Amino acid sequence: MSIAPAVPAPRMITRIRLKMPILVIIAVGWISLMVLTAIFADQLRPYEITRMDLMARLAPMGTPGHWLGTDELGRDVLTRLIQSIRVSLMIAFGATILSAVFGTTLGFLAAQFRGWVEHLVMALADFQAALPFMIMSLAVLAFFGSSMILLVCLMGFYGWERYARIARGLAISASAQGYAAAVVQLGASPRRVYLKHILPNVASTLIVSMTLTFPEIILMESGLSFLGLGVQPPQTSLGNMVGFGREYLTRAPWIMLAPSIVIVLTTLSISLLGDWLRDRLDPTIR
Amino acid sequence: MSILLDVRNVVQTYTTARTMFGRTSEIRAVDGIDLTVREGEILGIVGESGSGKSTLGRMLLGLETPSRGEVIYRGNPMPPPHSVEWRALRAHMQLIFQDPLAALDRRMTIARQIAEPLEIHGLAKGDALRNRVAELMAKVGLRKDQANRYPHELSGGQRQRVVIARALASAPRFLVCDEPVSALDVSIQAQVVNLLRDLQERERLTMVFISHDLKVVRNICDRVAVMYLGRVVEEAPSDQIFSDPRHPYTQALVSSIPRPGQGLSGRIVLSGEPPNPANRPTGCAFHPRCRFADAQCAATQPELQRHDGHLAACLKFVRARQFAA
Amino acid sequence: MFRFILAKLVRAFLTILLVVTFAFIVLRMSGDPAQIMLGPDAPQDAVDAFRARWGLDDPLWQQYLAYLQQILSFDFGVSMRDQSPAIKLVLERIPATLALTIPALILKLCIGIPAGVYAALHRQSVADRGVIMASIFGFTIPSFVLGLVLVLIFAVTLDWLPSGGQDSWRHAILPIATLSIGGIGILARFSRSAMIEVLGQPYIRTAMAKGLPWRDVVWRHALPNAAVPIVTLVGFMVGSLIAGAVVVESIFSWPGVGRLIVVSVANRDLAVVQCLLLVIAASMVMANLLVDFAYGLLDPRLRAKPAAH
Repeated sequence: MSIAPAVPAPRMITRIRLKMPILVIIAVGWISLMVLTAIFADQLRPYEITRMDLMARLAPMGTPGHWLGTDELGRDVLTRLIQSIRVSLMIAFGATILSAVFGTTLGFLAAQFRGWVEHLVMALADFQAALPFMIMSLAVLAFFGSSMILLVCLMGFYGWERYARIARGLAISASAQGYAAAVVQLGASPRRVYLKHILPNVASTLIVSMTLTFPEIILMESGLSFLGLGVQPPQTSLGNMVGFGREYLTRAPWIMLAPSIVIVLTTLSISLLGDWLRDRLDPTIR
Repeated sequence: MSILLDVRNVVQTYTTARTMFGRTSEIRAVDGIDLTVREGEILGIVGESGSGKSTLGRMLLGLETPSRGEVIYRGNPMPPPHSVEWRALRAHMQLIFQDPLAALDRRMTIARQIAEPLEIHGLAKGDALRNRVAELMAKVGLRKDQANRYPHELSGGQRQRVVIARALASAPRFLVCDEPVSALDVSIQAQVVNLLRDLQERERLTMVFISHDLKVVRNICDRVAVMYLGRVVEEAPSDQIFSDPRHPYTQALVSSIPRPGQGLSGRIVLSGEPPNPANRPTGCAFHPRCRFADAQCAATQPELQRHDGHLAACLKFVRARQFAA
Repeated sequence: MFRFILAKLVRAFLTILLVVTFAFIVLRMSGDPAQIMLGPDAPQDAVDAFRARWGLDDPLWQQYLAYLQQILSFDFGVSMRDQSPAIKLVLERIPATLALTIPALILKLCIGIPAGVYAALHRQSVADRGVIMASIFGFTIPSFVLGLVLVLIFAVTLDWLPSGGQDSWRHAILPIATLSIGGIGILARFSRSAMIEVLGQPYIRTAMAKGLPWRDVVWRHALPNAAVPIVTLVGFMVGSLIAGAVVVESIFSWPGVGRLIVVSVANRDLAVVQCLLLVIAASMVMANLLVDFAYGLLDPRLRAKPAAH
């Protein structure tokens, strides 16, 4: 299944294709497939996610009507996989945006006010870097219990300190000399300086960081869900499927393999794309 | 001519980066300057790097608050930076930068950048805004078709024209040009200097022109102040300062301007270390490099004194006069 | 040097204080500790007694100070499940976890760094490409997938190794392999890029230009300089010796700290979770301190610099 190229200028397409190594094209193809699957999950899935077919429990792959097999309750694996892709991508997407917005805002605040605000933000960033994220998440989940909103918000803290550091550094260097200082002396308000000038200038760097954080968030959420502490049944996510499939590893490995392959291919694709983008757009960050 | 800006005994000290235990050291970038800027004139400020001329320029615009003394604009003290009044005042005074590429946002077309002051101060909208931008571009000699270009697509001289157009957009009364041509090719410098002079005449602007390049200053300025290590050492009308410099430092600077047919004869070469504000000599700051200095110069700091239409700060002033070119 | 150490210590102390504050805030936000500790069915007079005993009716800052005092005396509360002190439960589990993470760390260091350095010295070769590809796979495959696949191959299909438990050294092989493979990939990739960056520096070209043998250039100039960034990453790995095996211990039913975390979180055994949080944070901070001191030894320039950037 490939995405039909729309009408845009053919020259543009060839130019981009010429510049992209084949691996990156495949990666983009896979990511598009996943995004489309997530968007059209309701239309694509053959059954309801909770529909049980008790006559066909633990059916192997290739069974007619259940091409990826069924699980211990006779639920269609393909159906659950499609829904899991939607849930996992949605969490990762929401969390990436939250963390980018949160981190960038704090970074800008630190750059604008300096002084104790800056010290506070940097101390928080150190704290975040010092404590393994998984442990912090587990602690929060232990105290509050797991819910979808909490999970997205929690994942939304993942990697914020990187955005904050980048945004602060770039904003300070822009304000020290150069275009931002020039606009300030034109009489622009700080809001205008940050939103109209500094943000567009640092956007490419931030977007690259987002492509690097996204797969890590997918892995973090899958890890938590795998441990049974993330997404809770009856809702399902990729990690959650692997976690439940683990019980049937000997008898029905397909339950666990299908979501595993999706996780690996997706994170791999996004990492490849992110690396490529970083080399293109911004070789300064690592 | 009425007085636009009055600088009263301003001092600016910077503290160096704080070490862990809060120890800081102080550097005096500007060390007690009195100066007036009259309406409609072009005042040149000349000095080596580290003489505090850019700091002075920034204080004239209110971009920095002096640590002592005050700057009076049209009879009122400068509002504190980033306050509402301060921002409104930006429409009346503008800065032209040394490096136009750094001063422009590389992700905005030049037309949008020229329009910025108009948007910020709510001076024009819609068609009026577009017309005003077109008018400004024509005024500084940019072509209409360049409106949608990005800064990196223009030459250095064109970029500086964009910066000038942006500075003029809000119809300011006062302009500080901080080394506006030193980043440009020599062949372009004259064009930009001429443009600035034309604009100054046409718009009846008051201008402070900061430069280390005396040739440029002589071409454009009505009056010149020479700075050395944060103090004004000599101030006089332009023609007098170049024909008859009084301070030994000014004499050395003036003698270094190449003159056709004269070769290098009569050139005064300054010895010793270039001035370092972190390590200021006692007495007259210039004495370690001065040909006339004696023990008294190392002990007493000279004040500016009036002398034949000059203001100069030198203890050896009378003797120095004999050596004037 | 003294100032450098002092600055690092102050910073470490502040980080620990932040973690404690974080634990306190989360603990207080998650509900009435009396209800949580005693359970929802506790009689009212027991709740009141508990509140009085722990000073829950005092102003918040007094509670905070009391909490700090409690932490300083290593009193982390009592586990809800078996009524033994939380700190004892946590300390009991640490050896089992270290039995997995220390061998894994040694493997990571002994394979990852040489592979990365070799790849950097032989760029564009087959080996280099192999290292790059392997390292990308190494860190995009999540450990739970890797662990299960290893179980599927070596325990289920081939039946060479046990799939879980802690009865003999053979039980440790799959968990250690799972733990080290991802880290080897990350370390190899990182060492490679650090080494490549150093090899591009002018002083390397100078060393080569003055005719120093290639072996000496690598050993005396390139490696010591590339070591500085690598040490940071290794420090992070040392810091996660205690906390880095959560998923793996879960897969292989290994009774270490990671299992304890997951079980305590699932049961909402707050005293244990809180204690784990602080122990892990302390171990991370200690590792960071060690890294900073290692920096000081590796790079004399850093000793003189003030801490604040």
